[in-house]
Amino acid sequence: MDTPFVELKGISKYFAKVVANNNVSFSIHKGEVLALLGENGAGKSTIMKILYGLYQAEEGEIFINGRKTNITSPRDAMGEKIGMIQQHFALVPPHTVTENIVMGSLHGILNNQDLRQRIIDLADHYGFDVDPDSYVKDLPVGLQQKVEILKALYQNVELLIMDEPTAVLTPQEADNLMQFVRQFVEKGNAAVFITHKMNEVMKVADRVVVMRNGAVLGDLEKNGTNEHELSSLMVGKEIFPLENRRRSHSGTGFEVDGLSVTDQRGHKALDNIGFTIGKGEILGIAGVSGNGQQELGDAIIGVLAADSGDIRIDGESICHLTVRERIKKGIGYVHADRHAVGLVLDMSLGENMFLKSSFDRVAAKGIVIDRNRFNDYADKAISDYSIKTSGREEQVKGLSGGNQQKVVVAREVDIGRKLIIFDQPTRGLDLGAIDYVHKTILAERDKGKSILLISTELSEIFALSDRIAVIYNGKLLQTMDRKDAAIEEVGLLMAGITEEEQHEP
Amino acid sequence: MINIIARALLMSTPLLIGATAEVIAERAGVMIIAVEGIFLIGAWGGFVGVYTTGSYLMGFFLAALLGLCVALIYGWITIILKQHQIVTGTALNIFIAGIVAFFHRVIFGVPLLPLTIEPLEKLPIPLLSKIPVIGGLLFDQSILTYIAFLLALAAYFILFKTAVGLVIRSVGENPVAVDVVGISVEKVRMLVILIAGVLGGIAGSFYSVVYLGMYTEGIIGGRGWIAFAICFLGNWNPIGAIIGALIFGVAESIAIYMQSSGGGFLPNEVFIALPYILTIILTISRKQFNVPAKLGVSYVKEN
Amino acid sequence: MNPNMRDLIVSSFLSIFLGLFVSGLLMLFLGANPFSVYGRLFSFLVRDGYTFADIFVKATPLIFTALAFAFTFKANLYNIGAQGQFYIGALTSVAASLLLGPRLPGIFSLFLILIVTALAGGIWGGFVGFVKARFNANDFLVSMMSVYVALALMNYLLRTVLIEAKHEYPQTNPIADKLFIPTIIHGTRLHAGFILAILVAIFCWWFLYKTTIGFRIRVVGLNPVAAGYAGIESGRIYIIAFLISGALAGMAGFTEVNGVQHMLVQDFNTTIGSEGIGIAILANAHPIGIIFGAILFGALKVGGSILGQTSGIPSSIIGIMEGFVMIFVLLSFWVRKKLELRRDIAKLKTGVKR
Repeated sequence: MDTPFVELKGISKYFAKVVANNNVSFSIHKGEVLALLGENGAGKSTIMKILYGLYQAEEGEIFINGRKTNITSPRDAMGEKIGMIQQHFALVPPHTVTENIVMGSLHGILNNQDLRQRIIDLADHYGFDVDPDSYVKDLPVGLQQKVEILKALYQNVELLIMDEPTAVLTPQEADNLMQFVRQFVEKGNAAVFITHKMNEVMKVADRVVVMRNGAVLGDLEKNGTNEHELSSLMVGKEIFPLENRRRSHSGTGFEVDGLSVTDQRGHKALDNIGFTIGKGEILGIAGVSGNGQQELGDAIIGVLAADSGDIRIDGESICHLTVRERIKKGIGYVHADRHAVGLVLDMSLGENMFLKSSFDRVAAKGIVIDRNRFNDYADKAISDYSIKTSGREEQVKGLSGGNQQKVVVAREVDIGRKLIIFDQPTRGLDLGAIDYVHKTILAERDKGKSILLISTELSEIFALSDRIAVIYNGKLLQTMDRKDAAIEEVGLLMAGITEEEQHEP
Repeated sequence: MINIIARALLMSTPLLIGATAEVIAERAGVMIIAVEGIFLIGAWGGFVGVYTTGSYLMGFFLAALLGLCVALIYGWITIILKQHQIVTGTALNIFIAGIVAFFHRVIFGVPLLPLTIEPLEKLPIPLLSKIPVIGGLLFDQSILTYIAFLLALAAYFILFKTAVGLVIRSVGENPVAVDVVGISVEKVRMLVILIAGVLGGIAGSFYSVVYLGMYTEGIIGGRGWIAFAICFLGNWNPIGAIIGALIFGVAESIAIYMQSSGGGFLPNEVFIALPYILTIILTISRKQFNVPAKLGVSYVKEN
Repeated sequence: MNPNMRDLIVSSFLSIFLGLFVSGLLMLFLGANPFSVYGRLFSFLVRDGYTFADIFVKATPLIFTALAFAFTFKANLYNIGAQGQFYIGALTSVAASLLLGPRLPGIFSLFLILIVTALAGGIWGGFVGFVKARFNANDFLVSMMSVYVALALMNYLLRTVLIEAKHEYPQTNPIADKLFIPTIIHGTRLHAGFILAILVAIFCWWFLYKTTIGFRIRVVGLNPVAAGYAGIESGRIYIIAFLISGALAGMAGFTEVNGVQHMLVQDFNTTIGSEGIGIAILANAHPIGIIFGAILFGALKVGGSILGQTSGIPSSIIGIMEGFVMIFVLLSFWVRKKLELRRDIAKLKTGVKR
């Protein structure tokens, strides 16, 4: 394998406000799994999107099998047998699996029978179990990913690039995926695995390229390095583990009792959920995305109506209250999607801080907004949370992910006098911001608030929670004290394998 | 009574052509807000073509050509320059009204009597049109009417049974999915806009060339918008468009009948307003199910 | 000055200039010389006080219809029905004026008529908001169709109930002198309705940007999902936005009937609805920008009719000028975005190469 299959030389890419790739060079070989490691925002997706033809680089060259190649669109990349699976699936939800896989590679009239058979054969060949006639929108995320992979395999790719593929999978599904990747590579193909999770790198990769701030900082054989070295390359500084002094809580602050919720599509999203959170306690709910977490948060804040059950703060039922009234009761909600829900991107920082206060007598005299209060509120958040911004007039869409999240957290922490819900609070953030958010969560707990932490990151759950529960298919499986919990066990619960099943011979 | 139904089919023709064009475009995520203007320029172009050359083919050709020109401008501004569809369409509608009136003056001056042409004759289909009752109804219509229905059926087939149709529908639901397989979303959208321009122009020419036999400023009077509404009410499906167009064709036909026969107890204006009131009622009662997810949203690549 | 602001001003003037220039080219088709035509137009506008004041007379209803579109646009709603709400407002205004006659003192009556007119326009527009909130009906279509219904209604009433004493034409009797909106400059048609329009525009700006309700309207417009999580009920906002929007368009009926025509006839001000949309777009839905945009369009309209009188250019040139200016402004939006992007990238590159 002297001539690498793909070689990238000196690639640089600029976006409107940031240097995404700075003189990036590395190579990809056949028969090898390359891990592209770096924290969020390091530029890993960008460089691969350039290779796949979705972006055009400002500087640099691409060589395929030693020959200089110009890749101007995904068509060119596919022509070179390169396929890429995006982080956010590029599927058409209302269409069938078959339609999704074949779209773009056909002409003329569609022969459904023939196509179906081709898909079934392809899926069988790789050991995937998908129904070609099912609609993508009805499939669970793990299966949707399989459809994405089949899309690439249908094109007979020789290099498969996967962008953060395990983000939506259970630990077991992630293992299956990595097995598939190894098999794929053993057949003489190449694979690139973009990730920010070190353990995956150590498990599946042959070589690791570490990126930070758009530049390549390390190109190493997996066997010649270790987690510690990789981690310091990735971050560039020492990370101190989070200090979490747990103490016992003082009485029950928040209760959910027999809550059942049907989502907008008519499926039962939550089934008889019940739990309590004490004052000054963090309850961490672990689980793979799509098992009801979003609906839980939405039902507590009141955006989604409950079919049955009760929700109580300080013993008082809030089930019949509107969203506005529940906010007034002191519930803060850091939603998993800060772009679509947590923020109004085209509004200023100040206006985003004010988002939930427009009904509040405090910030307004009658219907006129009290400018001074409005400004002070925003300025205080900027200084308290060290938000990097040009001022409260700056549009939040110009802020970095970490700073955007700080705005949301600042607002919700202030609103959440009694209860704060954190759903995927550190998704897409760099390590510095992640650390900051964690420290904030702990600080709020220490003030005596009830904290509900919902996350797919087990390390986060384990670092912060006082008690841990697992959500699966809308049901809450097992609630336990942090000190009694083991990662493997929780991982299995996340896949729906209950205790009895775990201990079966 | 038979006359009313026959006329209903006639009046539904331009609505059906326009609605079919709109369905194809909206399935790819593009709203043709300039539809009213395209109908207008089609009506004018059709009239000018027939009046100056005496050839109906020339009339339809000119109508289609002018519609295509408008579509080119609309497509360029909304797809390439990525401006707002509603904004651009409104600007074009105002512009076209002015341009058409202006060039009508340039070409014809200010005639004392309105200029007329002979409306296009009907084209009875041999044999079939001799069938009692139904024959006269269905098979003794204008050629444009036959084309309209065939077009709608063809559109249905193309959209749902061919690879091209699958791509068009995918562009409207999730352009990212199409982009990542290397098909240009912009090209697909431009294509459907141009098709809509040609069809819309021909649809507009119906009013001057087939129906009235002359051109006046208010000849379209909101019917481009009704075609637009039919796409919506027909659930973005050409078959639905057929049903919708027929309903409005019947409404217009009844309105014409009532007005010409003295109206009875209801004032004329009620019948004039009938199609519009009908649209409002239907719009209210319709639950939007199949809106293409990315309708009206410009596709901006992260570059 | 901030480069973005500079681009905005330069491109606005450039668009107007280009729009007029290209329209001038079209005049060649009529055998007219665009330079002498525009020259004559300009001198007329500047020298004759009556003509110059007429610009603002024409701008008045445009300010209202543009505000109407902009107001709902801020909530991401489309009120295409301003023309119809204007007709309803005009009907109410003339009916109330004829009914009241010279019974009550002038100013008090005028005030009353204004309120009733605004209410009528508001209800006609509010209907759209209501069906949007309650049935999720498509506001674009419903408001669009309501124009034709309003037109039919107006024509019917002008033919029957409201028809003049002579029963000759479909128009009303003239309204009483006392119910004319007072002119503010003698020798011109400029009436206090223009002042009203300016005040209302400023009020709209204040309402949208300085009050809690205006804030909520803008949140719903920019991100209805986030609004829901913030406790804001979209349905209520839709209704409020359309009520106010309809009232704004209705007020144009008051100014035109009581300020200009002093009666109601058919076929008057038939394009102010769509022109209002165009102006709102150009001004990016900003109430203060709308005032300038409306004055521009007013100038185009007055200019267009002068061209007709002095140079024999048909009135359709007005729509052409308006259309071209709008198209050039749309192009300028794109150009400005490109320039801004290029500036940002240049800043980055100099930062990296250090």
